[in-house]
Amino acid sequence: MASTHDLTWKVAPHLDRHLVFPLLEFLQERQLYNDEEILKAKIELLSETNMVDYAMDIHKSLYHTDQVPQEMIDRRVEVVARLKSLEESAAPLISFLQNAALVQELRPDKQYNIQMLNERYQIGADQIEALYQYAKFQFECGNYSGAADYLYQYRALCTNPERSLSALWGKLAAEVLMQNWDIALEELNRLKEIIDSKNFASPLTQLQNRIWLMHWSLFIFFNHENGRNGIIDLFFHDRYLNAIQTNAHHLLRYLATAVVVNKRRRNVLKDLIKVIQQEQYCYKDPITEFLECLYVNYDFEGAQTKLCECEQVILNDPFLGKRVEEGNFVTVPLRDEFLENARLFIFETYCRIHQCIDISTLAEKMNMSYDEAERFIVNLVRSSKLDAKIDSVSGTLVMSTNHINVHEQIIESLKNLNMRTYMLAKNIVEPAQAAAQASAAAR
Amino acid sequence: MASRFWADTESEEEEEEITQSDDEGSEESATAPSGWVNKAKSYLKGAASDSDDSDTQGRTVKSTRERRNEEMLSTLEQIRNATKINDWVNIVDCFDKLNKQLEKVSRINDSNKVPTTYIKALVLLEDFLAETFANKEAKKKMSSSNAKALNSMKQKLKKNNKQYEELITNYRANPVDDEESESEDEEEPDMSDDGVDDVIEYPSDEDREKDGEDEDDEGERKGDWVKSQSKKDKQMDKQFMKDPSEITWEDVDKKFKDIIAARGKKGTGRVEQVEQLTFLTRVAKTPAQKLEILFSVISAQFDVNPSLLGHMPVGMWKRCVANMLLVLDTLNQYPNIVVDDTVDMDEKETKRGVDHKGPIRVWGNLVAFLERLDSEFFKSLQCTDPYTKDYIERLRDEPLFMVVAQNVQDYLERIGDFKSAAKVALRRIELVYYKPQEVYDAMCKLAEQNTGEEGDLEGEVQELSRGPPEFVKIPEIVPRKPTFPESSRDLMDVLVSLVYKYGDERTKARAMLCDIYHHAIFDEYPVARDLLLMSHLQDGIQLMDIASQILFNRAMAQLGLCAFRAGLINEAHGCLTELYQSGRVKELLAQGVSQSRYHEKTPEQEKLERRRQMPYHMHINLELLEATHLICAVLIEVPGMASPAYDRRKPVNKTFRRLLEISERQAFVGPPENVRDHVMAATRALTRGDYQKCFDTIAKLDTWKLLRNKDQVLDMLKTKIKEEALRTYLLTYSTCYESLSLDQLTSMFDLPEGRLHSLVSKMIMLEELHASWDQPTRCVVFHNVEQTRLHGLLFQMADKLSVLVESNERAYEASTGGTLEGLPRRRGENQETGVGGGPQGRWQENFVASQGRGRFGYSGRVGGTGGGYQKGTRGGFGSSRYQDAAQGGRVGGRTGSRGGQVDGAPRMVNLNRGIRA
Repeated sequence: MASTHDLTWKVAPHLDRHLVFPLLEFLQERQLYNDEEILKAKIELLSETNMVDYAMDIHKSLYHTDQVPQEMIDRRVEVVARLKSLEESAAPLISFLQNAALVQELRPDKQYNIQMLNERYQIGADQIEALYQYAKFQFECGNYSGAADYLYQYRALCTNPERSLSALWGKLAAEVLMQNWDIALEELNRLKEIIDSKNFASPLTQLQNRIWLMHWSLFIFFNHENGRNGIIDLFFHDRYLNAIQTNAHHLLRYLATAVVVNKRRRNVLKDLIKVIQQEQYCYKDPITEFLECLYVNYDFEGAQTKLCECEQVILNDPFLGKRVEEGNFVTVPLRDEFLENARLFIFETYCRIHQCIDISTLAEKMNMSYDEAERFIVNLVRSSKLDAKIDSVSGTLVMSTNHINVHEQIIESLKNLNMRTYMLAKNIVEPAQAAAQASAAAR
Repeated sequence: MASRFWADTESEEEEEEITQSDDEGSEESATAPSGWVNKAKSYLKGAASDSDDSDTQGRTVKSTRERRNEEMLSTLEQIRNATKINDWVNIVDCFDKLNKQLEKVSRINDSNKVPTTYIKALVLLEDFLAETFANKEAKKKMSSSNAKALNSMKQKLKKNNKQYEELITNYRANPVDDEESESEDEEEPDMSDDGVDDVIEYPSDEDREKDGEDEDDEGERKGDWVKSQSKKDKQMDKQFMKDPSEITWEDVDKKFKDIIAARGKKGTGRVEQVEQLTFLTRVAKTPAQKLEILFSVISAQFDVNPSLLGHMPVGMWKRCVANMLLVLDTLNQYPNIVVDDTVDMDEKETKRGVDHKGPIRVWGNLVAFLERLDSEFFKSLQCTDPYTKDYIERLRDEPLFMVVAQNVQDYLERIGDFKSAAKVALRRIELVYYKPQEVYDAMCKLAEQNTGEEGDLEGEVQELSRGPPEFVKIPEIVPRKPTFPESSRDLMDVLVSLVYKYGDERTKARAMLCDIYHHAIFDEYPVARDLLLMSHLQDGIQLMDIASQILFNRAMAQLGLCAFRAGLINEAHGCLTELYQSGRVKELLAQGVSQSRYHEKTPEQEKLERRRQMPYHMHINLELLEATHLICAVLIEVPGMASPAYDRRKPVNKTFRRLLEISERQAFVGPPENVRDHVMAATRALTRGDYQKCFDTIAKLDTWKLLRNKDQVLDMLKTKIKEEALRTYLLTYSTCYESLSLDQLTSMFDLPEGRLHSLVSKMIMLEELHASWDQPTRCVVFHNVEQTRLHGLLFQMADKLSVLVESNERAYEASTGGTLEGLPRRRGENQETGVGGGPQGRWQENFVASQGRGRFGYSGRVGGTGGGYQKGTRGGFGSSRYQDAAQGGRVGGRTGSRGGQVDGAPRMVNLNRGIRA
């Protein structure tokens, strides 16, 4: 049952129609569902967009006919007509914007620009509005790059904050669909700022906006090179974490994966586990269960089985299971990283509570052969990450127990007291001295 | 009779007055308890005919018996007057006289029967005596002779009343005549005659007409019902009895205004007013007028019981319900009538008849009536002894209220007044939220069967209004039976979402608490917990009214029980511990008054508290609650106590520790009797690691039978006990062993191997236990890294030092208002070092990790009742562990802010959730 852990149906409602496409494509590729079902879903999806030609193609391939339903044809006519009319109404502004020399005249001051456009080129609010509509229409038609450009320009001229926000959403979607991850990340941050600073009419809308933002960000974070940090930063932000816990528990999977693969962010693991435990009653999947087994129950066998399931989940997840082709090999980099780190997790925990481990059992626990395991351990010992020795004769790994000296502990805990007291004294004395000097000078 | 002065209406009719006192006496006996009705009847008949005679012939001849009776009555009157002026000397005299008269009367009546008049006098005296004693200030002011008389009276009465105890209670128990004669006698002596009229049903109209024409006919009525009306009433009758068609709107309106104007004045009988108004409703000319009068009837019915402590008589309440239904019928029949209590009405507005098209406004407030109805119902349950049949009878009336509430809500929703509808919905919620599904089903069934009873009610109504045929007939439109959805959850969902949408802050908060309570009953812990945390109720509850605080406490208690049933020991403990911290759990849950040794309550406080009590059927079983709380404490505390001395943290549950100390001090330990004993015995067993005995002792508790899933809970409990026994054992004896094999432990504690492994691993990880596994041999090897006492003390010192520094810094910050610059994030760092640093840090971090939610989530407020409320126990748990909280700052902060949900107005979000859930 590969589709048991599929989250597409949960994620999709929070995405734009167009953003769901890549997900469906992925599912089609993975053969998780019937081809037919997916094609139907695609048509459904397209019905509200303007990509009628595409819908027709899919229809043909789905029913193996050349016949296309009348509605689609009608719709196509309608779309073309609307395109024409929008093009016309937005034409003056577009022609202005396409002229590089004229664009030079624009200044950062919005009011000035609007006035200038109005006076010199007779471009008023109507035309600007038309630009927005046109951009939206372009987006609906699948012309993302055009839409992105127009929206960018629209934002420079727009005065209505609501419109500006939705233009930004549109821009983000367009960039994501064009896979311009860097620009998309910029837009994402901009959007985040607006959402956090803006006073929404109801907190509910704000919550909804945050949830959308998180869903959309998945595209970016799992593709952008710095995304792994980004996702942890964003999702662990208090308000966003609350949003996840309130209404989007399934995002925990992505957060958990990001934490596992990110070696430098171990410190958040504890928080993550707490959240997972809290939300356990309403969301669990192999990845969260793996962490729970390992860090809450210390159940290594359970963790082992969960790890196998995790692999499947990652492979079948549109965001996590991205493939990279290297020569003839097709690899899923995230899976490899995940498995490696997960193994390390298991190993670390295991070593911490044992003083003597049979290497063959260890190998079994980590899904490795004996030799592999031995090599793995040796590497760890050599890089001085592990304080242990291998007893090759009996085939065991012996930990050297080392307890921190009590004196060290105490000194450690008192170390910064000195500094703090000093700072405190300084803070108290300095103003007093300053005052004394001031009074002396006055005299 | 001095009181005559006041009775201006009667002054014209001298002759009738003479009979007044007689009538009164006879009336008394007519309504006397059934036990001696027979005798009284004959007596009464005589009296009645006599009085009629006297009307016509003047008072010449009287039987001795009659005379004695009259004498007695006049003495009673004297006593009554004396009470007015607080003249105890006079009262004592009269009392003696009364006793002598009694002898004579009984001699004449040649029976042991004691006349009602006498009993009445006794009751009067008793009440007045009690009143005088309660009023200390007045007592002080008394002259010495008066005070002396008062005291002697007290003695005498006490002695005397013993003989008649039964009769007195009988007399008091008879609500109708008690009600009127008591209440009216107190304030308006001249009302006694009007009061007498009240009980008389209005005769059918032919009778009445005759009545108007010919007074002498009265005698012909066989004296079954002695009828003596004041002039006023007769006039009214004359006016209205002529012919219904001749009565004009103006007549009715005038009369109505008259009656209303008399309200609350001296000389107005409350019950009488109700009757008069009810009569008027029958002759009302337009629906609007009828409605207007009906509203007055209802408020007059509410007026019947003037005191805050007592409740409305049940019969009256039922009649009131019937009237409410009538009002709703009318409103449904004539949708153009608008009920409003804000605008000043046009005088003539109600004159508009059925055919009037535009809206007709009538003054009234349905919601206020409904709420009053509800609180009267609540009060009557409070006042009734829960072990009597009365209580159950009264509970059966619940569907009656439900149907009115439902109809009112429907009506309000129809006219689009959702705000008021939300209020009504809350009332309905409060009747349903505490009912488990079984009780709810029973209620539904009862509502189904209730037709018979309602027939009774209608009969009663019919009887009551045996007057002229109703001028404006209102057919029954609104359903007379409540409808209930299958599950109470459905009902709750509908009502709660209505409240969330339209209610005001308080209504919403209360609905939320009820919702939480209901979820908790239905074992939906996570949902209930999320509702609580997201609504931020525990932050603001201390600012709310006491009733809501009680509701909050109840919800917390129920949540704790729910968590316990689900096996979430820490959470359950977090919910319950605050309730038990103060030792006033009864008071906090409003389930009885707890006596405090050091703090005397004033009578006012006691009265207030009594008014807050929950009716018995809503109680949360205190034994179960206590057992749950203590067992949670045992499971948490015992392993804690077993850990080596210097590692030991502050006790989590001080209440439990104190109890344990007390029980340990006992020289001999008897077999356990109550919950506490059982738990203490179990604790002793657990400390030794004897899980079986511990479990057996706990399983012996009776209260478990109250649980629906008893076996499941006990199984859960057994596992938990085993686990904690293992932990206790390991912590206690780890120093004595070099190694222990897994198999041995498994057999010792009867735990599955995997579970045991994971438990021990966890302890090792958290450095509670200095040990590690030896995998090839499958055993735990203990490292003896014993700290010396010096080490332990040093750790403590280090802890204290950092607390000191921190408080210094905080003091600095507080005085300057700025933060200390140049310092590292000290709390965070402190935590880092703590974590790296060894067992101390580990331990507490573990603590925070496992407790985090419970601690921060629930360290809400458990207010107390009365004066204690303000004191509360603000975050008792949190603050006592302040240092830990600071150190675990980051971790705790997260949990705390979980509630922070959506900044500013989190309520909305959770409302959304509420609807979703």
